[in-house]
Amino acid sequence: MSYTLIGRIQSRLLSALPALLVALGIHRWWAIELVALMLAVGLALDVLVYHRALAYQPGWLALPLGLLELAIVYAAMRELTIAAPLRGALGLYALAWISAQVFAHAVLPRLRLEYAEAGGEPGRLGALTAVAVALTVVGGLGGAYAVRPPTVHLHGTVQGPLVIRHAETLVGGVVKGGIDIRADHVTLRKVTVVGGTYGVNVEHAQHVMLDRVRVLHFTLDAVRAVDAGVMVKDCSVTAPAGPLTTGVLISYSMGRPMSMVSGCTIVGVREGISTHSSMVDVMDNHVVGTSVRGISLSEMSMDRASGNVVESANGIGIVCMDHSMCEIEHNTVAGAKVDGNGDPSRHGVAIEAYFYAEATVAKNTVIASPGGVAAFDQSTIER
Amino acid sequence: MASARCAIVGSGLAALATYTTLRHGGVAPEEIVVFGTHADPTSVWARRAASIRQQHMRSESDGHLAAAAFPGLAVREATRRISIRPLLQTVTNRYRPTVDAFLADAERLRSTSGWERSFVERRIARVRAVDGGFQLDGEGSFAHVLIATGHPGLARVPGAVHAYEPHEYAARVAIVGAGMAAATEWLNALAAGSEVVSIRRREPLRRPLNLPREYFSKRGLESFHRLAPPQRAVALHELSTPSYPPGAEWDEPIDRALREGRLRVVSRSSDDAQSTAWAEQVISATGFTAGFAADPLLADLVAEHALATHDRWIVLDSDSTVPDLTDDVRTLSLAGVAGQWAFPASDTIAGAKYAARAFLRRVCRTR
Repeated sequence: MSYTLIGRIQSRLLSALPALLVALGIHRWWAIELVALMLAVGLALDVLVYHRALAYQPGWLALPLGLLELAIVYAAMRELTIAAPLRGALGLYALAWISAQVFAHAVLPRLRLEYAEAGGEPGRLGALTAVAVALTVVGGLGGAYAVRPPTVHLHGTVQGPLVIRHAETLVGGVVKGGIDIRADHVTLRKVTVVGGTYGVNVEHAQHVMLDRVRVLHFTLDAVRAVDAGVMVKDCSVTAPAGPLTTGVLISYSMGRPMSMVSGCTIVGVREGISTHSSMVDVMDNHVVGTSVRGISLSEMSMDRASGNVVESANGIGIVCMDHSMCEIEHNTVAGAKVDGNGDPSRHGVAIEAYFYAEATVAKNTVIASPGGVAAFDQSTIER
Repeated sequence: MASARCAIVGSGLAALATYTTLRHGGVAPEEIVVFGTHADPTSVWARRAASIRQQHMRSESDGHLAAAAFPGLAVREATRRISIRPLLQTVTNRYRPTVDAFLADAERLRSTSGWERSFVERRIARVRAVDGGFQLDGEGSFAHVLIATGHPGLARVPGAVHAYEPHEYAARVAIVGAGMAAATEWLNALAAGSEVVSIRRREPLRRPLNLPREYFSKRGLESFHRLAPPQRAVALHELSTPSYPPGAEWDEPIDRALREGRLRVVSRSSDDAQSTAWAEQVISATGFTAGFAADPLLADLVAEHALATHDRWIVLDSDSTVPDLTDDVRTLSLAGVAGQWAFPASDTIAGAKYAARAFLRRVCRTR
């Protein structure tokens, strides 16, 4: 297709319609923000690059251009801290890309016979629809901005514990004694939490984002989520104040949106990351020096652990246990240690399935861990 | 015929493309009359294709005669064969439908569109503008007329058989021309075991379609339409440079024959006589006579209505209509090769559809 600039812009706006409808339908601000971001990136590329560089655009080019735009959108999403779950975001992007192909090759050529020879310009009705799409996206963004949770900037040290009962964004500062979150759409960003039984405790809430949160000197769990949907991103957990501590614990959250723990550094706790009866994506974390387990996916959970590095775990590096179903891929487990109590399931096992668990493992790297990869007590490991 | 508002003069591929487009736009068969000499709109084209043993179309998936581009021939073939291969080929611009598939699709359209209810076997010799429309050989009037009479005739070389006429191959063949038909004939003659001399006036370009792709869309056409008549005529002359598609299916047999000495290339100006004397058979792959003056109907139309012309072309608006004879209530359009002033690739399927769609817009607007 040899697009005119107007044709490119109007076709892009029109083909965003399915993704926009889904975004409006699921009532998630991140989805509307993501559609707006996809359109902004696409339109910028249309005007600045594609129109000048591509006098003719063969069909196959949609694939590399789609990947290029995906990379830019993902980077922008991270930079703008749009709180989108990765799978949801990828799904929405895939829908938008497929819609663009279906619209360009099938829908629009049927709706307007001259579509191709008009350089991708969809005609008067199409142009009006494109404008409506643009206005809806802008309106949605405006709405999102107007009703966005208030942002509270903390300065210095605040004596806690803090209890958050309304949607808000808390930025910066040091909170002593822990933070309790009891509301949806709460974001903690760059907050340091010192002390408390739980550093951050999330109960009965979802769409909670912990972004670059540091937790130390807690006595039980650095981050605890019960019946909750949370995104824990780039957290730091160090210096626990007791022997029975967990870095990130997500429990009984199967009825909530999927949770994610990514990019965290967790040092010196009893269990690094632990899930119970939840759906959690555990990715790209660094867990060091745990005394019982590095990463534990347990109690009928359906989890995925990928890209994590687990070092010097006592007994077990990563375990899928108690009727859970786990995908364990692309992780590195180094120096899992024999804990010396004679239990073979704690004999420095790098990756383990235990007690009726089903684990799928692939492309993991195991270093200096004498127990290797093993299944115990009616469990299976599929490679 | 009494209720017909639209007339199509000609009954070839462009006529069928126009007919299916009008039908798609909701115009009933009773509102359309097709005047032509062949009830089967593919018969003339198919005979030419068979003469040069053409197996595949030069056009791509959307090179069919249906009104809407989708579903194209690749989608239909993928569905028929339950294979993704045609779809992968079409997104990489490697899909070329077979001539048989194209003809079968054209037959499907002819038989389902109502063509036979509109077809009248008659050669129209004169088109005359009257109040509110046009008379065709004194019959009518018709408010909207599209002329699609095709190429006026074959461009012949004295003493040669034309490529588009049935023929076999002698042991020593001279082939005049350098376009798609000539390239096809080189391969045909070489495959038949002949020695071949290619006589050409210009070196052929290698491009997938007849013209650069931007000329098939508004992106390239806008600048073409902005050209003043002298520059536009120059552009059309330049775009008429012979060409055939790139690809190993052409290069490999030609290169091998050149190495083996079974194919030689000579310039038409220098070695013409010597080469034709050497050959037992001369094949003229020189296409068609060009220009409105070679078409009696168009020549008469121009003379009778003093239409604006430039060089060998009738001056048209960008929607392929004749500006002097088109107004709010009537339309005279030219499709096929006669429409080059509006669409440089007008003698392709894409060109036929370009004129047809513009014609439909006017028909619907003035209902």
